[in-house]
Amino acid sequence: MLPVRSHSRRVLASLRVRMASRASSAMLSRAGRIRSKLQSSLEASVLDIEDVSHQHAGHAAVVESGAAETHFNVKIVSSKFEGKSLVSRHRLVYDALADELRSGLHALSIVAKTPQEVAPK
Amino acid sequence: MARALSNLLFKGITGSPAGCSNRMVSASFIQRGMTYSTTAPNDPDTHDDFKPMDKFQDTATSLKDVVEQDVKENPVMIYMKGVPEFPQCGFSSLAVRVLKHYNAPLSARNILENAELKSAVKAFSHWPTFPQIFIKGEFIGGSDIIMNMHQSGELKEKLKDIAANQEKSA
Repeated sequence: MLPVRSHSRRVLASLRVRMASRASSAMLSRAGRIRSKLQSSLEASVLDIEDVSHQHAGHAAVVESGAAETHFNVKIVSSKFEGKSLVSRHRLVYDALADELRSGLHALSIVAKTPQEVAPK
Repeated sequence: MARALSNLLFKGITGSPAGCSNRMVSASFIQRGMTYSTTAPNDPDTHDDFKPMDKFQDTATSLKDVVEQDVKENPVMIYMKGVPEFPQCGFSSLAVRVLKHYNAPLSARNILENAELKSAVKAFSHWPTFPQIFIKGEFIGGSDIIMNMHQSGELKEKLKDIAANQEKSA
C-alpha cells in the first residue's frame, strides 16, 4: 500500500462532500448523504463532516460488515439546538441519520452547537 | 420468573466494587445460563404435562427487565464494548477513563458478548450507538456527551453524592 493512500482518500471524501449537493442521491457517498440529510433536517449554518473510517479499519464490527464509510466526525451549528440538552441534540442528529445507522454507519462523533454558542464573545 | 432471573443476573454484577473483572465473568456466565434456560425441549415424546410451563415468551422483554434493573440499582451503569479493564473500542475506552476519574463505583456490561442485550439496550434508551451511560437511572448519552459534561463540570456535580457515599462506606 502506498503511504499517500489514506491522505488521498480523505481528499476524495471531502471532494465528494462538496459535490454532494449537486449529485443525485443514488450516486452519493455516505458522507454526501449525511450532509444532505443533516442540512435538510437541521438547517445547519455550519456543517463539517470528516470521514475517519480509516482510523477504525481494524474494528471487528467494521471488518464484519464490509462497509467502507463507518466512522465520521460531525460538527453542526444549528438554531434548532437552542434550548436543548446534549442528549436531545444528539438524538436529532441520530434521528436524521437513522437509515445510515441501519445500513453500516457505525459511529459518529458529534459536536452540536447553537449559533450563539459559537459566536465570538 | 423473568424477575427472579434478572435478580440473579443483577447479583452477578454487584458485590464489592473492587472485584469488577470477576463480576463481569460471573455476570456473563449467568447470562449464558439464562439463554440456555429459555430454550424449551421440543421432544415430541414429552407429554404436555412435563413441558415447561413458564418459559420466556419473548427474550427481548425479559432483557428489558434486566436493563431496567441495571440502571435502577447501579448509580453508574455503562453498556460498553469490552470490559472496563479492557475496552474494545476507543469510545468505550474514553468513557471509562472519564468515569473512573471520579472514583464512583462503576458497573458495566459488555454488549459485544450478547447481541440480544445490545438490541435491548438500544431499544430501552432509543440511542443507536455504544457506549451508553446511565447515572442514577437517568440516560446520559455516549462518549461525546460524557466528555462534554466532564469538561463543563456538570459530571462532577452529578457524581458528587455517589462518590461521597463511596468514601463513607470504604
